[in-house]
Amino acid sequence: MDTKTVVAEKESSLLDAEELMRAPAAAPLVTFPLEVRVTEASRQTPAVGQRAIRPDARLHGLGQTRYIDDFYLPGMLYAKIKRAGVASARIISVDTKEAEAMPGVMAVITGRDIPVNSFGPSLKDQPVLADERVFYAGDGVAAVAAVTEQIAAEALDKIKVEYEELTPVLDPLESLKLETPGVHAPSANIYGHKIIKKGDVEKGFAESYRIFEGTFRTQMVEHVPLEPHASVATWDANGRLTVYSTLGRITLGRADIARTVGIPMSRVRVVATIVGGNFGGKNEITTEPVVALLSKKTGRPVKCTFTRPEEFLSSTTRHPLIMDYKTGVTKEGRILARQIRLVLDGGAYCSWSETTLGKACILSAGPYVIDNLYAEAFVVYTNKTMTGAMRGFGAPQVCFAYESHLDDIAKALNIDPLEIRMLNALREGSLSPTGQTLHSVAVRESLMQAAQRFGWNEKSNGHGAQA
Amino acid sequence: MKRRGRGIACMWYPIGFTVAANPSAAVVKVNEDGTATLLTGTVETGQGSLTILAQIVAQELGIATEDVHVVSADTDTTPMDTGAIASRTTYVTGNAARLAAEKAKLMMFDVAAPLLKVKPNQLEAKDHRIFVKGYPQRNMHIGDVANHARIVTGEPPIGSGYFNPATVALDPETGQGKPFATYVYATQIAEVDVDDETGEVEVLRVVASHDCGTPINPMLVEGQVEGGISMGVGFALQEEMLFDAKGRNINPNLTNYIMPTSLDMPDIQVDIVDNYDETGPFGAKGVGEPTCVSTAAAILNAIHDAVGVRVTSLPATAEKVYAAIKAKRAQESKQIAAAG
Repeated sequence: MDTKTVVAEKESSLLDAEELMRAPAAAPLVTFPLEVRVTEASRQTPAVGQRAIRPDARLHGLGQTRYIDDFYLPGMLYAKIKRAGVASARIISVDTKEAEAMPGVMAVITGRDIPVNSFGPSLKDQPVLADERVFYAGDGVAAVAAVTEQIAAEALDKIKVEYEELTPVLDPLESLKLETPGVHAPSANIYGHKIIKKGDVEKGFAESYRIFEGTFRTQMVEHVPLEPHASVATWDANGRLTVYSTLGRITLGRADIARTVGIPMSRVRVVATIVGGNFGGKNEITTEPVVALLSKKTGRPVKCTFTRPEEFLSSTTRHPLIMDYKTGVTKEGRILARQIRLVLDGGAYCSWSETTLGKACILSAGPYVIDNLYAEAFVVYTNKTMTGAMRGFGAPQVCFAYESHLDDIAKALNIDPLEIRMLNALREGSLSPTGQTLHSVAVRESLMQAAQRFGWNEKSNGHGAQA
Repeated sequence: MKRRGRGIACMWYPIGFTVAANPSAAVVKVNEDGTATLLTGTVETGQGSLTILAQIVAQELGIATEDVHVVSADTDTTPMDTGAIASRTTYVTGNAARLAAEKAKLMMFDVAAPLLKVKPNQLEAKDHRIFVKGYPQRNMHIGDVANHARIVTGEPPIGSGYFNPATVALDPETGQGKPFATYVYATQIAEVDVDDETGEVEVLRVVASHDCGTPINPMLVEGQVEGGISMGVGFALQEEMLFDAKGRNINPNLTNYIMPTSLDMPDIQVDIVDNYDETGPFGAKGVGEPTCVSTAAAILNAIHDAVGVRVTSLPATAEKVYAAIKAKRAQESKQIAAAG
C-alpha cells in the first residue's frame, strides 16, 4: 500500500492534516563532512586497551541517531494502553463500543484478543493484557490504535471496564505467611526459594567471640531510562511481521512475540534500534505483541511509546529486599559464621525474580571467606508493580546489608573498616559460598588501590569532623 | 553543622547467567581489503558494547578498531545472542566474536602459508599484516591475503563461533556448585557531608577501584563506573517508588520520584585493578552492573562515620537521617540523665 492510497483512505481531511503534522519534518538541509576524523586510538594496533571512540558517538553528537520515536512509517497509527488502576480485581466486563465509534480510532483490542496471553522468562505468569484478572494497578486491560496519540489517549477514557475489586496483598512479609490468600491462587505466594549451605553455622556461632545481628531493608526503584519502552510493528503482504523495538534481548523477544501473537518464529523479524538506556528494564516484551496485533487488525503500521508514568506503573522495577543478618566473629574480627535470610518482594509477576533470588542469595555473604554459612532466600508475590532484572540483580541490596553490618562489627570491635575487610576478603583460590574455587580474585587489590587513592590512612578524613 | 564522613564498601559480582545456558554466537567476515564485519545479535543499549566487540575482533585479526564494522540486533541477519543482560557482553559475546575472528584468521593463514612458504601454524596476524613468526621481514598485508583467498583460491575468510560460560548446576539442598564461570571485584569509598540540623547528605567524592579483567577500552570502563555510581547515589539517598494503601504507585513521574541530576554527582575517581582472566577474551571479564553495587553501601557507611547513626533502610532521605540523629540525641540525653 503506498502513501497515496493510505491518505485517500483517511476519514477526514482534518485528520490527514493532523497526521501529516505528526510526521517528522524532512531532514534539515545540513551536510555533514563525510571525511570523518578518526581518532588515533581507533587506528592503533593492537586494538585491545585503546581508548577508541564509539562510532555512534558522532551520530549522537549530531542528533542523527534514530530512536523509535524518530521512526515514521507511511500510514502509521499510534497505540495507547488502558491501565487497570486497581491492584487486584476480577474483570467483569470490558465495553469498547464507544471508543471504537470515535472518529480516528482504527482498532481496539482487549486481553481476550491475545492469541496466547502469557509470557515470562521463567514462569509464564504474565499476560500481555489482563483478561480475567488484574494483578496490579499497572496491568493493561485494553489497547487502542488511532491516527493520533491524542485520539488514542482520549479513546482510553471511553473504554468502560467493570471490576470486582479484591483485597490486595501488599506487604511481602504478610505474603510470606501461609495463611495469606494467594495473589495467583491456587499458586502459592512463595514462588522461589533458595538455600546456600556451607560448613556448620551453629558450630561457627558457638566458637564465636561475639555475635552481631542486623536487619536491613531496601526500596523499590525504577530503571528510568532516558528513552521509554517503544515499538513499531508492520506486516508485509506475505503475513510476515517486523517489529522495531527498544528490546535489549531480541532473541528472547522474537520467541515471546511469535508465541503471544501465535505465528512461527520464521515469520517474525525483530530489529532493535539504538536503545536509549536499558539497565535491565528492556529485557522482556511490553508493547510489542500489542502493536503487532493492532497492526494486523488495521493493516497499518502501529507505534506505541510508553509515557513516563507508564515507565513507573507498567515496567519492571528493582526488588525491595528485607535482609536479616547474623554474624559470628573472633576477637580479631575474622568471620566464623554467617546466617542470612532474604525476602524479596516479587511484585505481581515472576519476570526475572528467579535470577535475582539466586544471585542475591549467592552474593549475600559478601566477598569474604566464610567457612560456615547458611543463606536462605524467598521471593513472594504481591499486588504491586512487578520487579525484575535491574542492574545488579539483588547485589546492590545485599551489598548495602553486608557492608553496613560489617562496619557495625568493625566499630564494636574497634577495628578499622579497611582492616576488617582485608582480613576477611576472598583471595585467589578461595572457595565461594557455593564451594566454587575462585580465580582472578582482586578484592584485596581493589581495597588497597581505593584506600590509597582516597587517602584512607590520613586519619584527618571524616569521623564527624566539622566540614 | 555539616559533618564529614567516609565509608568503604567492597563487592563481588558474577558474569553471565546463574547456571543457565546463556550462549552467544557471532560471525566475522574479512573483506578483500583486510577490513572486517562482525555480525552479532546483541544490542547496543548505550554502554558501548559494540565498540568493545569491534576491538576484540580487531585484536584477533591484527587490525585496528576502525577497520571493523559491527552489524547488530536484527533477528533476520545476525546470529542468536542472549543479549545485553547479566554483564555478559564483553565476556560471552566477546569470546564468541574472538572465536569467530580466529576461524576467519586461520582460513587466511591457510591461504598465506604457501605464499610465504611456511606452515599455517608458523604465522601470526598483527599490525594489518600476516607475519612468519620470528621472521618479521617475511609478511603479507592482510588485505592481499583476503583478496587472494577470494579471487585465487576461492576460500572467502568467513568465520563463525559461539561461546557459553562453563557452569555446574547447584545442589538443590545445599546450593553447592559452580553457578558462574567468573566474577569481578571492586571497592568504592565515599566521602560525604551530613548536615546534622537537616539530615541532608551531600556526596562529595567517590573513589572507585574496579576489577574487570583486561580493560578492552579503559574509557568505556570509566564511563560505566561513572554511570553506575550515579544510579548508586539515587538508590542510596533519593529514589523510591511509593504506594498508597490500595497498592497504587503514587509518584509515577520525575517531579515526585527524585533522581540525582548532574548537580548531585560527586567527584568520581576511577581506577582499574590490574587483572587478567584466562577464560575471557584477551583476559577481559565485564563491568556493567558491578559499578552500581557498592555505591549505596559506601555512602551509608560514610553517613554513619559522619554523624554516628546507622540508617538501615534505603533511601537515606534527609528526613530519615534527621530522625535518626534526633533519636540518637534523645538516647544520649537519657543516658546522661540516668547517669546524673
